[in-house]
Amino acid sequence: MTPLTPAPRRVGFSRKLSRWDIKVSPYLYISPFFLSFAVFGFFPIIFNIWVALHEWDRRLGQGEFVGLDNFAWVLNQPAFWTSLQNTFSIFVLALVPQLILSLLIAAILDQNLRTKTFWRMSILIPFVVMPVASAMIFSQVFGQFGLVTPLLHDLGWFTDVDSPFFHNRFLSHVAIATMIVFRWTGYNALIFLAAMQAVPRDLYEAATIDGAGRARQFFSVTIPSIRPTMIFVILTMTIGGLQVFDEARVFDGSGSGGTGQGGSDDQWLTTVLYLFNLGFGDWQDRMGQAAAVAWLFALVIIVFTLLNFFLTRAIADSGSKPTRASRAAAKQLAAQVRAGADAPAARAARAERSTLTEGSQR
Amino acid sequence: MRFTRKTGAFVALIATTALVTSGCSAGGGEDGGDSPDALTIATWVDIPETLLEQFTEETGIAVEINSFADGASAQTVLRNGLGSSGAGLSDVHLVELDWWTEMMAVPEDWVTLPAVEDRWVDWKVSQGSVGDEIKGYGMDIGPLAIAYDSTLMQAAGLPADPAGFTEFIGGEDATWESFLDAGRQFTEASDAAWIDSTSTAFQAAVNQLPSAFEDPDSGDAMPLADNTDIEDLFTLFGQAAEDGVSAGVGIGHADWDAGFQARRWATVITPAWATGIIAENAAGLEGWQIAEIFPDGGGNWGGSFFAVPAAGDNTEAATELADFLTSPEAAVEMFLLNGQFPSQLDAMADPTVSETPNEFFGGQATGGIYAALAESAGDKAAGGYRGVNFAGIQTLVMDGIRRIETGNEDTSAAWKSTVSEFDALGLTD
Repeated sequence: MTPLTPAPRRVGFSRKLSRWDIKVSPYLYISPFFLSFAVFGFFPIIFNIWVALHEWDRRLGQGEFVGLDNFAWVLNQPAFWTSLQNTFSIFVLALVPQLILSLLIAAILDQNLRTKTFWRMSILIPFVVMPVASAMIFSQVFGQFGLVTPLLHDLGWFTDVDSPFFHNRFLSHVAIATMIVFRWTGYNALIFLAAMQAVPRDLYEAATIDGAGRARQFFSVTIPSIRPTMIFVILTMTIGGLQVFDEARVFDGSGSGGTGQGGSDDQWLTTVLYLFNLGFGDWQDRMGQAAAVAWLFALVIIVFTLLNFFLTRAIADSGSKPTRASRAAAKQLAAQVRAGADAPAARAARAERSTLTEGSQR
Repeated sequence: MRFTRKTGAFVALIATTALVTSGCSAGGGEDGGDSPDALTIATWVDIPETLLEQFTEETGIAVEINSFADGASAQTVLRNGLGSSGAGLSDVHLVELDWWTEMMAVPEDWVTLPAVEDRWVDWKVSQGSVGDEIKGYGMDIGPLAIAYDSTLMQAAGLPADPAGFTEFIGGEDATWESFLDAGRQFTEASDAAWIDSTSTAFQAAVNQLPSAFEDPDSGDAMPLADNTDIEDLFTLFGQAAEDGVSAGVGIGHADWDAGFQARRWATVITPAWATGIIAENAAGLEGWQIAEIFPDGGGNWGGSFFAVPAAGDNTEAATELADFLTSPEAAVEMFLLNGQFPSQLDAMADPTVSETPNEFFGGQATGGIYAALAESAGDKAAGGYRGVNFAGIQTLVMDGIRRIETGNEDTSAAWKSTVSEFDALGLTD
């Protein structure tokens, strides 16, 4: 901020105004975010509680106060539990390959490639495709006469008439997870890439001198160095991945149960899709119950994200737990030692050894 | 520096105010001018260009189409629009019979339309009314027929001409049982399935019942566990599905058009409005025909209305447009474009409808066939009673049949799970 003017040029209202300016302006500058958050974020969250505690008609709005009945109703619906299972199954099926693939891609892009920018841009293309568009393309791919199913038929698998991806529960999850992986891998890879770029190059030099191969460097230098980014990406993936909706809704055109309701057996009914169906999508007019689902699901996401956070930290830590700063410092030091002092020392030792052998020969 | 900072604060203030107020002021619109420049129609069927041009010439009002991929998406938009005092609604909406009662749950949402004497068959008018008030002008009705692939029939060594096919599925006294038995015979002789989806046929059979899921007197849902009519039908179709007469790919499914092109099934339940859809999906194929009878005497499936949401700015002009779009002349044009069978008496009698050969269906005069089928259906042509939960319960039960089709459950297990899903909803407590 600019320093205050030492002497007052004018006294009176304008001076007062300028004092307010200094005090109030910063808040005004940041207010758009908070105001829009209050209107579009905070208010709906609070209002949602209100809706969840009432009978709520889609058309007529608020009905009777029912307390926790809506929550009880939701917990008694088998479809709710199925949707939770589906959500987690799809989430796990999408997260693991996504993480591995995006790390690999980022590691490759981190190398000295020709036309670097071209490759970096091109991995983001799937992300630019609208989710609904990619879902529609993929439901063609997994359709009865799509790319994959006839291939499976040729191999002698799933020779039923209909495409197995639309009625086998596990396979429908695989198909939907594929769409998510397709869409998000490039995006995550770019975030990883940004983190990898920040890893000091001399660490790699040191590792190379120590004789570590590319794979060893990846696991011993790259991965530990981008740990905070990994935690960030895994957490955002968890939150985003649990909210699967578009892909599941568009998956089979509108074959099962009207439009995109998650399959005849709720095979790929995700929780958000279930919420949507209750409140907006299907014939049931259950806005109150949908609000209850939203709250229950928010709880589930929070618990799961925390769990994931601690799990990720524990795995990435594995063993000793120095602070991030001290570890970085230690690493830096080790690197310097290896790069600077260690290498000449080794050379000296080798030289000494050779003179010794020479001496003995002599 | 100081000046800039102040200006900045000012700009920030304006921006915030604009941001906050824009949330409240959106959706204002003009207050009901007498003659609007343009009207919008929400529809998922094609409307002939010439018709719209004619309306513009007569009234000076342009017409814009808000087109939806299918009825279900139009329904979702309408549903949410009604729930938010008309936001995002068009001036005129096409509403299908299947979700008509749901939309009419609050009749005040819809403009009461002036009666037009002697335009429609009586039952279409009463379907489109809530109490004494007409809420929708009928566009088409959905007399039921069966379309079949004569090429596949011939390849299987079975009767392929319409008369022979009719005899094959049971002749004048055809029932669903004889139709499905014919299917078992066909699937033995052919690699293809008999029908695209048993659930479609099941839905047609449900539409023939006078009161399928709800009590006509009270409008309440009946306990599904005690609903023997439905259970019998469910078992009949479920067992046929177990025997593999179905390809398990219904209308709207991602595989549906590809299934036509690969000739995966020999028959499709075809309400009149579906003829255009089939012709589109099966484009380039020869041999599709319409059978001249329907199991259990025929019936009605769907059919649509034009209705005017009361929240619109130009309800008067919109009413005029709805009237125009459902005139007998318009109905004839709709029939020629999409194959929808008119609900207008004059249009039904029009030789253009009854005699125009349909190129896709081997030159058959489909309009005439549907007229005869509608007539022979008698009272069933009007369809049974539908309360607010009809479409939903129907979906639930059809999902049960689909689980049998896909081999996930056998018939008795599927019925049990369907009943318990129904019970979990708590509609009959």
